[in-house]
Amino acid sequence: MTEKILLIDDEPGIRKVLSISLADSGYEVITAESGEEGLELFRENRPIIVLTDIKMPGMDGIELLQQIKREDPETEVIMITGHGDMDLAVKSLKLEATDFITKPISDEAIEVALKRARDRIETREKLRAYTENLEDMARQHSRRYQQLFHEAPCYITVQDQNLQLLEVNRRFNAHFGGKRGDYCYEVYKHRKTPCPECPVIRTFEDGKPHSTEMVVTTREGEQRHVLIRTAPIADGGGRVAQVMEMSTDITEIRQLQDHLASLGMLIGSISHGIKGMLTGLDGGMYLLDSGFQKENEEQIKEGWEVVKLVGNRIRNMVLNILYYAKERDLQWERVDVRSFAEELARIIAPKAGAHDIRFTSDIDESADAFEVDPGVLRSALLNILENALDACIEDKGKTDHQIGFHVRQTEEGVIFEIEDNGLGMDRETREKIFTLFFSSKGGRGTGLGLFISDKIIRQHNGAITVESSRGKGSRFQVKMPVKKPENGIPEKSGSTEASGEKKQKSRLDFMAGQITIPEDFDRMGSDE
Amino acid sequence: MAKKILVVDDDPVVVRYVVQVLEDSGYETCSASDGVAAYEVLEKEKPDLISLDLEMPEEWGTRFYRRFSKDPNFKDTPVIVLSGLASRHLSIKKAVAFLSKPFDPEKLVAEVKKAIGEP
Repeated sequence: MTEKILLIDDEPGIRKVLSISLADSGYEVITAESGEEGLELFRENRPIIVLTDIKMPGMDGIELLQQIKREDPETEVIMITGHGDMDLAVKSLKLEATDFITKPISDEAIEVALKRARDRIETREKLRAYTENLEDMARQHSRRYQQLFHEAPCYITVQDQNLQLLEVNRRFNAHFGGKRGDYCYEVYKHRKTPCPECPVIRTFEDGKPHSTEMVVTTREGEQRHVLIRTAPIADGGGRVAQVMEMSTDITEIRQLQDHLASLGMLIGSISHGIKGMLTGLDGGMYLLDSGFQKENEEQIKEGWEVVKLVGNRIRNMVLNILYYAKERDLQWERVDVRSFAEELARIIAPKAGAHDIRFTSDIDESADAFEVDPGVLRSALLNILENALDACIEDKGKTDHQIGFHVRQTEEGVIFEIEDNGLGMDRETREKIFTLFFSSKGGRGTGLGLFISDKIIRQHNGAITVESSRGKGSRFQVKMPVKKPENGIPEKSGSTEASGEKKQKSRLDFMAGQITIPEDFDRMGSDE
Repeated sequence: MAKKILVVDDDPVVVRYVVQVLEDSGYETCSASDGVAAYEVLEKEKPDLISLDLEMPEEWGTRFYRRFSKDPNFKDTPVIVLSGLASRHLSIKKAVAFLSKPFDPEKLVAEVKKAIGEP
């Protein structure tokens, strides 16, 4: 498109000559013979360049220049002056005219003035494009930083001297709530006063970054471990005006650490038991091997019995370790008491028979159903039943051994009683049996079994009690509620209340909350 | 008469195992599964060597050893310690060998032979 140029002069000759010349230079020329007409045509056509005579009747060039500059300051206005109009020419330049040319007008002079006008237009265009580009970049960068601030995989706040929040990122807001003006300690910790050892306060004091670890509470009331780091934000004068606080959620790491620590302790504590069992297994295999070599059928049989006995111990130990090492919520089910108890009896009866132990079970005909996690409760009761078996097998003081398994339903709940006339326990042992890693079985126990049984029973809001005397035998009673408890289970340790003694607390109480069950606990057992 | 070894371990399975290993090599054995019984057997049978488990309940193993080590009747009777612990029991001065569980039966027999010779 050709560019428009507006030419105003009251002399028709000049209009004509200049029009031809300008049209030759490629412009579309609009002409006017007065300032008034010029202004009108200017408003109509919006030319980029205006050429105007200074001296005209009516509205003169200076006035027209001012008016045009008011309406569109970017219009290039070239003034045409006569001899002796130097003052007016200078005035017009002060009023932002592009240039002036003097009559008589030479082609060369007009070319120079037009080039100057075009250069100015071009420069302005470039400047505008550059500015727009800059603004666009600034907008993009600002958006980018906002995005980084909000999407950063941590909680970020900017706080003032009063620990009031000035800015929070979206992640912080989503998990903790909190808006501009809220106090950090209120939002993060639900406190009324600043936290002791606040790293933000320290950064305000010394202008250096600080870090600390804290437990904070989310808007849902969940406790999270966070690692907090602060950084000073200085104002122009180098004074710390604000502090940025960044926290990373390390809850899972902490949990994993605790878990690993307790697993490490577990392995250390039970390695003796494991070695004892492996020695027993070696023993069984040796008896078998040596029996085969000598073709001694008696010894082969004996070896095989040992392998079975130790194999079963190892199996129980491994299941207990797995149970201990993995967390699972209880899977509540409504279970028929009688079939549950009969199944236990069916597992234990043949094992007792193999060692000439009389096993009697008496299961209340009227027993109904109860709400339990059958898989884990079965393991808990099996631990006790297997202990009764061991107590009989290892008791050399008597020849006639028996185990009684009684199940009945009373108003208090479902009661399981396991009675044996095996080794029995002295008072000290009896007081420690539910303690983690305590074993009365020397190299044959891990100290996990009854600890886990006790834990499971308590998780069900049940109770376990024990009476025992050395040389005579033991009687365990497990009382289970019929219904699943409504809200959570009280975290109290089990008791030996039947014997009137308070149970000793676990040496490793911190682990008490971590009783764990493999998801495929039952299946693992039956796969063998 | 064959040389006799007293096997002390609270686990009857381990006692049975050690006894069989030693008898298969031609030694005579006697055994006990707690410290009190062990002392009675010791005095009655006067063994040539004792295979002792140290980690029995109620410190039977160490109590037995303490009493035994002071008894002039047995001042020349060597001990082989069978232990589930990896570390050596330095206080067991009469021990001629420490074997950690699970142990190699051939190694046990070799240590016995080294201490008291062929059956």
